[in-house]
Amino acid sequence: MIKQKKLIVSHAPFIHNGSKISIKNYHIMLAALPALLAGIYYYGIQAVGVIGLSISFSVFWELAFNLIAKSEKRIGDGSSAVIGVVFAMMLPATAPWWIILIGTFVAIIIGREIFGGIGSNPFNPAVLGIAIIALSWKEYFDFNQALINFDMDFNMFYPLAALKSFGASSISSISVFDLMLGKQAGAIGAVFGIGIIIGGLYLIAKGIIRWEICFSFIAGIFLTSMTFAMFAPTTYAGPFFHLFTGYTLLGIFFLSPEDSSSPVNKMPMILYGLGCGILTILIRNIGVYADGILYAILIMNIINPLIDKIKPKAFGKV
Amino acid sequence: MNHKKELRIAYWLMIISFIIGVISYAACSKQSHENPLRIMYKTSAGNVLFDHKTHASDTGYGVVCADCHHHPEDDSGLTNCNSCHTKDDKNTNLPESCLDCHDAGDIEGTEMKNSTDAFHDQCIACHKESGRGPVECLQCHVM
Repeated sequence: MIKQKKLIVSHAPFIHNGSKISIKNYHIMLAALPALLAGIYYYGIQAVGVIGLSISFSVFWELAFNLIAKSEKRIGDGSSAVIGVVFAMMLPATAPWWIILIGTFVAIIIGREIFGGIGSNPFNPAVLGIAIIALSWKEYFDFNQALINFDMDFNMFYPLAALKSFGASSISSISVFDLMLGKQAGAIGAVFGIGIIIGGLYLIAKGIIRWEICFSFIAGIFLTSMTFAMFAPTTYAGPFFHLFTGYTLLGIFFLSPEDSSSPVNKMPMILYGLGCGILTILIRNIGVYADGILYAILIMNIINPLIDKIKPKAFGKV
Repeated sequence: MNHKKELRIAYWLMIISFIIGVISYAACSKQSHENPLRIMYKTSAGNVLFDHKTHASDTGYGVVCADCHHHPEDDSGLTNCNSCHTKDDKNTNLPESCLDCHDAGDIEGTEMKNSTDAFHDQCIACHKESGRGPVECLQCHVM
C-alpha cells in the first residue's frame, strides 16, 4: 500500500490577512479621540462623565442581551463601545445619566440586537438612539439651554438655532475658522471640526470608511445650500456654515458610513451620500428642525437596501 | 489577540468607564454661577435667551445692576426678577417671598406686575431709550 499524505481541502477563506472587527473598532475610537479631547477641553469633567457612562452603558446593554438571549458574548469586538463613543459625541455635556442609559438601550437593543446584532442593523444604532431621545426629551438637546452655564471666551450660542430664528444676517459675523476650532455651542464631539476631519481622513486612509459616501455627502450639502443661498442670501446660510455646524461633520465621517446601514456598491454609495447631504439641508432650511442630519441619515438608511440594487457589480465574467 | 483577551478588555473598558463616569458626575454637581451668564425665559410665545453677562459687564452693554434689579432700593441684595414678578396672571396675591422682608400689613394693596408685563416693560423701554436692541416680538421670542 502506497503511503501518501492525505490533504484535507476545506472551504474558503484560505488566507486571512489578520484584520479583525475589534481592530477596526479600535481605529474608529482612535479617530474619534481628537474631537472628544476638544470636547473635554471645552466642557471639562462633565464631558468626561457623559463619555464614560455612554461607553459603559453601551457595552453593558449588549452583555445583558447576550446573557438573556444565551448567545455568544460579543462585547469583545468593540462595536458596542464604538456606538457608546459616537453616541456620547452627539450629547451635550450636561446630559443627565438616565438619558444616556435610555439612549444607549435604544441604540444597542432596539437599534441593533433585535435585528440580529452586528452587521444586521438597518439603521445606524447611535443615530437611532439619539433621534429617539431627542424627540422624547427635546429640552436636553436645546444646546442654548443645556449649555447656559458655560462661560467661554467666545459667543456661546448654537449657530443653527440662530440661523433658524434670525436668518443668515445673524450668523454673518461668525468666522468659519472659529467654527472649525469649536468656538460654538454644541455637542461634546461635534464642535471641533478640524478634529473630526482628521479622524475622518484617518478612517478613509485606513479603508474603514468609504470616501465615496463622505465626499458625496459633502457635495450634497454644498450643492443644496448654495442653491438656497443663491436665491435667498438673507435667509439661508452658505455651504461652509452648514459644513461646520451641528452634527454635519460627525454625520459625514462617523454616522453615515456605518457598515451595516450604508451601501456597498460604488454608485449607490454616491447616491446615498448625496441624499444625506441634500436632505440635511432641506430639513434645515425648510423643515422645523434646526439640525436635520439625524433624520436625513435615518431616511437614507431606510432606502439603503433599495439604492444598493442600482448597478450592482457582478462577480466574475460570463 | 484572541477572543478571551478581547472579552477581558471589553469587561475592563465597561468597568473603568463606568467608574470614571460616576466619579465625574459626582464631582460636578450642576454648574451654576453667582451671576448668571445667560438666562432662558420660557414663554408660550417662544423662548427668550437673555445674555445676562453681556448686558451687565463693562465690556458689554454696561447696564447697571439696579436698572433692572430695582428692589430693594438700598442695594442690600440683588433679587431674582421672578421672585417678585410671578408668572400667574390671575394671581392677585403678592408672592410669599415678599414676606421675607415685609410685614403683611405693610404691603397690603400693593400691585405687582406679572412677569410678562414686567419683562416687556423693562426690556422694551430700555431698548427704546438706548436706541439699541430689539423691540419687536419676534426679535426676542425666537427660541
